[in-house]
Amino acid sequence: MHLTDEERRILDGAFGEPQRIALSVLVKLGDAYGADRMVEIASAHIVGSSYQIAGEAGIEIYGQLVEQGARVKVRTTSDPGSIDFARWREFKTPADYADRQIKIAELLGRMGVIPTWTCTPYTTFNVPRFGEHLGWSESSAVVFANSVIGARTNRLAAYVDVCAALVGRVPRFGLHLSECRRGEVLFELAPDLSESFEDHFFPVLGFFVGQRTGDRIPVITGVRQATFDQLKAFGAAAAASGSVALYHMVGITPEARTLEEAFGARPPAERIEVGRREIDLTMEQMSRGERGAVDVVGVGCPHASIDQMRRYATLLRGKRVHSGIELWICANSVVEDMARKMGYVETIEQAGAKLMVGTCHNDCPLGAWGFRRLVTDSGKFAYYTPTTVGTECIFASTEACIEAALTGRVERL
Amino acid sequence: MSSPPAMLQGKGCAPGDFEGEAVVSNQPFGFWQGIDPQTGTVIDKRHDLCGTSLKGKVFFFPYGRGSTGTPGIFLEAVRNGCAPAAIVNVKSEPMIVMCALLAEAFFKVQIPIVDGLAGNPRDILRTGDRVRVNGTTGAIEVISRDQSTP
Repeated sequence: MHLTDEERRILDGAFGEPQRIALSVLVKLGDAYGADRMVEIASAHIVGSSYQIAGEAGIEIYGQLVEQGARVKVRTTSDPGSIDFARWREFKTPADYADRQIKIAELLGRMGVIPTWTCTPYTTFNVPRFGEHLGWSESSAVVFANSVIGARTNRLAAYVDVCAALVGRVPRFGLHLSECRRGEVLFELAPDLSESFEDHFFPVLGFFVGQRTGDRIPVITGVRQATFDQLKAFGAAAAASGSVALYHMVGITPEARTLEEAFGARPPAERIEVGRREIDLTMEQMSRGERGAVDVVGVGCPHASIDQMRRYATLLRGKRVHSGIELWICANSVVEDMARKMGYVETIEQAGAKLMVGTCHNDCPLGAWGFRRLVTDSGKFAYYTPTTVGTECIFASTEACIEAALTGRVERL
Repeated sequence: MSSPPAMLQGKGCAPGDFEGEAVVSNQPFGFWQGIDPQTGTVIDKRHDLCGTSLKGKVFFFPYGRGSTGTPGIFLEAVRNGCAPAAIVNVKSEPMIVMCALLAEAFFKVQIPIVDGLAGNPRDILRTGDRVRVNGTTGAIEVISRDQSTP
């Protein structure tokens, strides 16, 4: 790989041990994947901010870096932590566990990481521009930045994201290159599905696309319009059920104004038609458990936007969450603050629901609750919670989720 | 009568040289939610290796299923001395390669990784075979075949 004079000096240790280690990891990664050179990044987003992911190894690594004087070189934000920093006792998090997460927070803070504690950094202080190169991890944020914004990042791993932040660079391969961003698999929505595409079909379609496309780049036609939150939900589901890091939705995402632009000169390697049948079957697959009584409802995965907070508040106004049921809404502290100012938080809390800030059901240890059946409107939660929380999981629309919280039962999807 | 030693050639993805016992699966594998980092034992109930220890083994599997949190669990296993000692894939996804590069950078442990294995791992090798893997040259040498199972 070609290295600049400055990069050679970094590898010689002229800028300290943290930068030397960081760049050596990135150069070896680039060599393994045929990168021709490094590229400067506008920002980083790091996933090893959670104690559940980083563990004691992470504390050792961050501790070593901080001792050696590590500072991030570009704007860097943190993924959710494993506790709600303000309310971890309310969520029954063991105190010694909370201590370890607080230790990680302190170490990242000393490196200059912005403590956003969110999987949606693009709703806070890390908003990429079209065409910018990034060093991001967190699969749902990577797929949003690449697809909806048109920024360029590979799916970095925990700690490699920190390496990128420390030197402000990543190796140039994969999704940093225009020729590697073209569509490979075509998903065509049948006309009747296209005409009556409901809000909760977005995560279901994402889940289906992820399963069928693996790590290739899918192109979807037939979606007539999509909101910010619908694209967020679609991508998060596709990144969880497959390893989708970039998708194109023709007429909606910026690198797919037309079908031709989405695929470039190369025709689709595979065409898959999606009808109502595929949506119904996938929705069934996303639920592992029977309809009926539930004990916990999880919404806000990825973290809720202010629009979603308004929607939850509207659905909960003047109502009361059923006794013995927990309704937790996951969000970041920026959205929380604004929702509080707008009166949404008061409405939500008066109804007996809880805001879970800076973390989520997947990242937080919930063993003490003994939950058995969760209902969620998130394709990502539906994919992971049976393992992470150990519950049965039922996927349903946002309205059906709130209804389940109010009645204690999920009867419709 | 043992089978003659065989040489296989893949592509080196992460440096290191290791000789040891193979653990072989035809199923894709994800370390996140896949192993217990305190012991190195596979805990994914859906996986055919569930209950098998990967500690110090040469782990053959077709390709990784990788959450971006993968190195969290992997490096915890490295720190505890319970990680696989070498990895061979049909196709190594960057997540696995990144794990090995991080293990070397932060814990001074080399875990050679070779990809480009031609064919399903179990058509070529069995758990218990003794192999040598070079993560720079991509060479995989079968030292001896396991005789304990038919």
